[in-house]
Amino acid sequence: MASAQPARPKIFKTERARQEALTAYLFIAPYLIVTVVFTLGVLIFAFYISFTSFDLFTSPRWVWFDNYLKAVAPGGDFIRSLVNVLWYVMIVVPFQTALALVLATIINVKVRGSQFFRTVFYAPSVTSSVVITMIFWWLYLKTGYLNFGLTKLWGLFGAEWTSVEWLNNPRGLFQLVAMAFGGDIPSNLWFLRGPSVTWMAIMFQNIFTTAPTFMIMFLAALQEIPPTLYEAAAIDGANRRQQFWRITIPMLRPVLLLVVVLGTIGTWQIFDQVKILTAGGPLDTTLVPVYLIYAEALGTKGPSQMGYAAAMAFLLAIIIFTFTLIQRRYIESGTEQY
Amino acid sequence: MKKNRSLLFRAFSLVVPATLLLAACTPAATNTPAPTAVPANTAVPANTALPANTAVPATSVPADTAVPAATALPEGVIPVEDGATIVFSGWGDETEQKIYRDSIARFNELYPNVTVDYQPIPADFQVKLKAAMVSGTAADVFYVDDQLMTAFGPSGKLLALDDFMTEAGTSRADFIPALLSIFTRDGQTYALPKDWGTLGLAFLPEAFEDAGLDLPTADWTWDDLKAAAEAIAAKGTYAGFCQGADWARFAPFAFGNGGSYASDDFTTATLDSPEIIEAANFVVGLKESGALVTAADVGAGWCGEAIGKKLVAMTYEGGWMVNFIRQNYADVVWQAVPLPTGPVGKADVIFTNGIGVNAGSKFPRAAAAFAIFVTGRDNQGEIVATGFAYSTHPDQIDMVVDPNDAAIAQGGTFDLTRVAYWGPNTGKVNDAVSQALERVYLGDQTVEEAFAQAQEEAQAALDEAQNTP
Repeated sequence: MASAQPARPKIFKTERARQEALTAYLFIAPYLIVTVVFTLGVLIFAFYISFTSFDLFTSPRWVWFDNYLKAVAPGGDFIRSLVNVLWYVMIVVPFQTALALVLATIINVKVRGSQFFRTVFYAPSVTSSVVITMIFWWLYLKTGYLNFGLTKLWGLFGAEWTSVEWLNNPRGLFQLVAMAFGGDIPSNLWFLRGPSVTWMAIMFQNIFTTAPTFMIMFLAALQEIPPTLYEAAAIDGANRRQQFWRITIPMLRPVLLLVVVLGTIGTWQIFDQVKILTAGGPLDTTLVPVYLIYAEALGTKGPSQMGYAAAMAFLLAIIIFTFTLIQRRYIESGTEQY
Repeated sequence: MKKNRSLLFRAFSLVVPATLLLAACTPAATNTPAPTAVPANTAVPANTALPANTAVPATSVPADTAVPAATALPEGVIPVEDGATIVFSGWGDETEQKIYRDSIARFNELYPNVTVDYQPIPADFQVKLKAAMVSGTAADVFYVDDQLMTAFGPSGKLLALDDFMTEAGTSRADFIPALLSIFTRDGQTYALPKDWGTLGLAFLPEAFEDAGLDLPTADWTWDDLKAAAEAIAAKGTYAGFCQGADWARFAPFAFGNGGSYASDDFTTATLDSPEIIEAANFVVGLKESGALVTAADVGAGWCGEAIGKKLVAMTYEGGWMVNFIRQNYADVVWQAVPLPTGPVGKADVIFTNGIGVNAGSKFPRAAAAFAIFVTGRDNQGEIVATGFAYSTHPDQIDMVVDPNDAAIAQGGTFDLTRVAYWGPNTGKVNDAVSQALERVYLGDQTVEEAFAQAQEEAQAALDEAQNTP
């Protein structure tokens, strides 16, 4: 290769390799162009916008970090939405992961009809989230099926069920506990009140909808665990429970990481349910970052504040990124990476 | 291990799109049950703070009273571009769409050379129109509410209509003055009110008979309301007075006590004023005595439905009750009178929407002519005759057909009646009121605490509106 002329470094060993690479780039070009224009380009534009005051219709005005400062100001809507969504992430992710694992384990048992249950369990995940949310809206109405069912159930034991307004009850979990003991948590300590009844109702719906998606992932991984491991363990005298904790769980670790990371990202970005069921109410207890970003960007209660919305979007992205990194560190230790 | 990976990858590729779908932040363009800004017909007060009060009355009139077209008035016709084609867009269900198709037909009798392409957008109208405006594909003529006025007014996206109005021989003086407040900026008119709504005292006569009380009359005061509500609640057959934690229903109490949510120049919030606190104490007092219930308390979606289900004796509702009851509870007898008089005077709240013209329209003259015609006296007379909405012209108020509707409409003429409009951040100010009431209803805060907090929130919103150009 060493020649006298200062030729530019050869990237491809042969002409054929060069041709092949060119063809490859040609094939991915349509997608690449779309991505660059509609994802990367938009991202860069949004980053610029986040430093401006922009109402969509007049030209952006540079305001440095005003939008970011406004977002992190204590007592602001963004902080409030972060607290709400944090409750959501902390409750939904563990529950949906556990439920998915349990469902997958059950379905993994080869019995007659397991194929049928596989389909049934997966149904909520393939249904549009808007449709599911509408169904839950009917369940959660004050005059809806949930209250109806509970009334009947309570009636069996001779008790009376007071209908709960599932979608309009701002009382927090810890507040309810405090109230059961005759106390209360004042509204200036709202962050200690815990998730509101309405918020928990939405959590329940989301666990129900998302768990089956992850169930499929666990199922795929379960079926890849070599049966010989279990056989060896059985010979060594390990019982079912030991097999589960010592073999199944460690073997599922990479998938577990995937499920938790995807679950976390998904829950941080919850939007549809809030938009359809509550619009952030009651008393802002279901206000979440993405909904707030949507509302501010499109100006549903005042002028559009694109800059403020973009700033919040970037802050949210940073938070999600950080969470994902932490989870990676925590779960992946010693296992294959995805 | 290779096989392992490929299977996992298959699972992964199956799941990723599904997850993306789940997490997709698309503003779902469905007719959602949680109205953030209710684009129902005649400006039903957008119940933003209480999204669970979802069953917003859909005003839909069986258009059995379609009236033949008005006689042409050549002096109202302005010269327009030849062969103009304009796009007209608004929200509204099929009834409203029919009203406007008929209006277009009447318009075409006067302007045979103009083609009007009607493109109704029933859901998420404001959001879609803003997006269309940014990309330059917005309709030529469209509905304008306070939110769109806020978005389009300051940025010059709306055409000032005053010159065209002069040309067409009409003026601001032809309209009910309060209705123009939202659409006026720097003395110019950027949209013309297409219809309006207000509140009346709707009641169930049988509840009054049951409690042995006289029926409410137009000269009732707050004290009469209170006494009757308490008597009926005490009897127990029906609940007394139905009202949610809602800025729109609270507004007549605030205005009737001489209060306002903000100063007239929209710079100062006035939610901690004695007038407001007193009014709130009156309402909350009703609640504490058991005379006031919310719709949810009695198991109804909203207070109008509570009347239809014969659960409550009284509520403050608007003209949309007429068709709602007719369609859903045809056998229920209800009546309406104008709202009771407050300590300071008679007051009511007005909701209105207008029709504006896109400043970027290719055919501004035809578009302006259409906006002026649809909101003009002749066409408004036709619309009011259908029972669909009130005319925006003061001399046509008494044309309202239904007697209950006519009683409700009188609220629009009271001295202290006003539009709950407080400048660009109106939504946030009104929201602060609804949330304050809700906190009090919940027993979270006292009236003073709740409205002190609302005052802060509203002031922040007004300041923000001042600081944005």
